[in-house]
Amino acid sequence: MLSLHHAGLIDLPSLSPLHGDVTPGEVLAIVGPNGAGKTTLLTMLSGFRYSQLGPVTLDGWSLEAWTPAALAGRRALVAQFEPSGFDWRVRDLVVLGGDPGPEAVAEIIRQLELACLAERGVLSLSGGERQRVMVARALCQLAAARRDQNRDGGLLLLDEPTSALDIGQQQRMMRLLRRLAVERHMAVVCVLHDLNLAATYADRVWLMAAGKRVAHGAPSQVLEVERLALTYRVELQALDRAGAAPWLALKP
Amino acid sequence: MDMTLPRTGQNRVPRRRLRRRLGALGGLSVALLLALAWAAASGSLGLSPLELVMGEVPAMDWQVWWQLRLPRLLLGVLVGAMLAGSGAAMQGLFRNPLADPTLLGLASGAGLCVAVWVVLFPASDAFGLYGQFVAGFLGALGVCLLVFGLARRRVGNGAVLTLLLAGLAINTLAGAGGGLLAFLASDEQLRQLSLWGMGSLAHSLWGATLVALVLVPPALLVLLRRSQDLDLLQLGEATAHAAGLDGRRLTRQVVAATSLGVGVCVAVSGIIGFLGLLVPHCLRLWLGPGHRLLLPASMLGGALLLVVADGLARVMAMPAEMPVGLLTSLLGGPYFLYLLLRGRQGC
Repeated sequence: MLSLHHAGLIDLPSLSPLHGDVTPGEVLAIVGPNGAGKTTLLTMLSGFRYSQLGPVTLDGWSLEAWTPAALAGRRALVAQFEPSGFDWRVRDLVVLGGDPGPEAVAEIIRQLELACLAERGVLSLSGGERQRVMVARALCQLAAARRDQNRDGGLLLLDEPTSALDIGQQQRMMRLLRRLAVERHMAVVCVLHDLNLAATYADRVWLMAAGKRVAHGAPSQVLEVERLALTYRVELQALDRAGAAPWLALKP
Repeated sequence: MDMTLPRTGQNRVPRRRLRRRLGALGGLSVALLLALAWAAASGSLGLSPLELVMGEVPAMDWQVWWQLRLPRLLLGVLVGAMLAGSGAAMQGLFRNPLADPTLLGLASGAGLCVAVWVVLFPASDAFGLYGQFVAGFLGALGVCLLVFGLARRRVGNGAVLTLLLAGLAINTLAGAGGGLLAFLASDEQLRQLSLWGMGSLAHSLWGATLVALVLVPPALLVLLRRSQDLDLLQLGEATAHAAGLDGRRLTRQVVAATSLGVGVCVAVSGIIGFLGLLVPHCLRLWLGPGHRLLLPASMLGGALLLVVADGLARVMAMPAEMPVGLLTSLLGGPYFLYLLLRGRQGC
């Protein structure tokens, strides 16, 4: 669905060219140390930095060939929360990018456990609650555009959607993203800081460091203790979990 | 979270919200009409709507009303709507409730350019008049571009601080420029400038009113047409872009429309402060931050407030009158301080 080709990224000195694709039905996690270029990469994938993108294609078309409105029907972005000075009601905020109708909105609000917050002003919410509001908004945007289409569910780009969530919310958020990928046939690209979340819920992982992608592939191949020790300068220990990826624990 | 996924439905505006919208705009329109009727009848030249309809008015009175009062009422509506509407739009563009044409220096930048024009080309003919409008527009546009360029380089609280400091600097600069012009100006020009600088609708004649009537409504229309996009922009630039917004185009149009509108308003009526801050802020408390309702409501509310304030300025010190800009600043200054004291930026 989404493809990146070599070159064309030269205008962005912080990122080296890379090659890859994202297909519907999978969750791709982008991980890496602070300042590795994860957010930059995500905004390039979304087309926000379109003058610097070069040949990134979505559905076979270069991002620059899409009109903003058509693109909005195919991919949505959950950026790290930028506060607006205005106190929107949650119910009004989630439909800003597109209104899929009252039933669908109610369903999305329920999925993200926002029902009891729907009438509240967004400035009164905690960081984790705001993150869930912004994910709900992105889902509403894609759902509104999907009305007549029987094809895949579009591309969902998320920048650290779990950074302010408690562990219960983290689990439910990642399970929801997995379910969206499988049931709705969405392509989910997710910048994550928590390597264990990536190991547990992603189909594939890109490991970024200093503007380069240093490894990519299945989580078990990418998230090796030795490689992470080099990339993050961290001492880790892999603990076995029955039937799941090993748990990466900090050495005391 | 549940396993079933939503089915998508029809895109409808809930009836409750539609009613609320119509109710608010209708109420403001009725209030504006009442204010106009009162303003038409009040003061030394006043003719009540009843007298106007019945037509039993001495020709002399009618002539005076038509030449002096009617253009003044029209200008009050246009200038009030434009200043409050551009305040609301700028606040949306900067995603900040403190953006206002006066605070950010747009008005004083336009004012300085108009003053320069008046001093350099002391003609009262059409050339001079239209030149004033062009000068006002260019002044407002220059300041708008400068302020916006500055604001884009900072994020979060830094942006607010930069904006307000830039406004302060521009206001100070314009004040100094005005002082410099006072040395160069002749006595008559000086008097003209100082009266005009206080902000007043008292000198409105048909010539200026017609120009405003041609230029202000298109600017208002541009802002109204982009109200939904201003809503989208509140998500932040990257998210709004991903939701289908062409942010550059929106910025260009809003900057052009507000500069044109504010420039024209300043050229005809001087600097009438704080309407752009006061009106949207009060209405946001009542109607919420959505621009589809806030923008038209701000325009109606701004027209209402200015027509009433101008009427008051006319009758309060009869037979003399005080500049209406003084009155709005007396209202708006304390309100702005109150906003700052309350501490929270949101509203």
